[in-house]
Amino acid sequence: MTMALFSGSIDKLTGAGVILSGAAADDMDVDVYVLLMGARAFIKGNENNINSLSEYPELKDEFIKSAKTLNVPSWIEFFEMAKELTNVKIHICSLAGKMWGAEKMEDFIDLTDDLCGIGEYITSAQEADVHLFI
Amino acid sequence: MSYEELVIIAADKTVDARGTACPGPLLEAKKAMGTIASGEVIEILSADEGTKKDIPKWANKKGHEYLGTVEESGYFKIYLQKG
Repeated sequence: MTMALFSGSIDKLTGAGVILSGAAADDMDVDVYVLLMGARAFIKGNENNINSLSEYPELKDEFIKSAKTLNVPSWIEFFEMAKELTNVKIHICSLAGKMWGAEKMEDFIDLTDDLCGIGEYITSAQEADVHLFI
Repeated sequence: MSYEELVIIAADKTVDARGTACPGPLLEAKKAMGTIASGEVIEILSADEGTKKDIPKWANKKGHEYLGTVEESGYFKIYLQKG
């Protein structure tokens, strides 16, 4: 499976995490290509401070409250679990990183596998049996 | 497996995933399967409705046998035999 993770909003990052977990339970190999807004969430120090909603910002408080009540893991915990269970590779778009002042691997959280260009994503999407853009 | 057989089954491992919503129970089932031997049985406790269909489908896909589900008050117990 190939996932393009463009969003850096808590609702979509959480959704991406749930999907990754399902893929992990199914032993799928997954390549995640982290694009523009997503890259910002993967910069060290930002990962626990994501609290904007991509759609319906007025529902933010309800989202956060419900997630807590239901014991839903944080988006980063979903990504970590998925990585533990199966072959999940996190590739960050180098341009996206630069847009937010991050150019090197060490600028990003440890889940990151490498920095890449758009060609790699396109090739991966062409070859994947499942391709998602989030 | 009949209800009578299911309720007396002695599971080799029990996973209590009642504190988690989807996909928690599925992930717990997956992790637990890695710790038991072929032919052994796990019991998964869940209160998440989605899990009820999800785990049997996942198990069949992965070559494990879904033995059945027992309803309790406010949760249910799913039995799987590792393939």
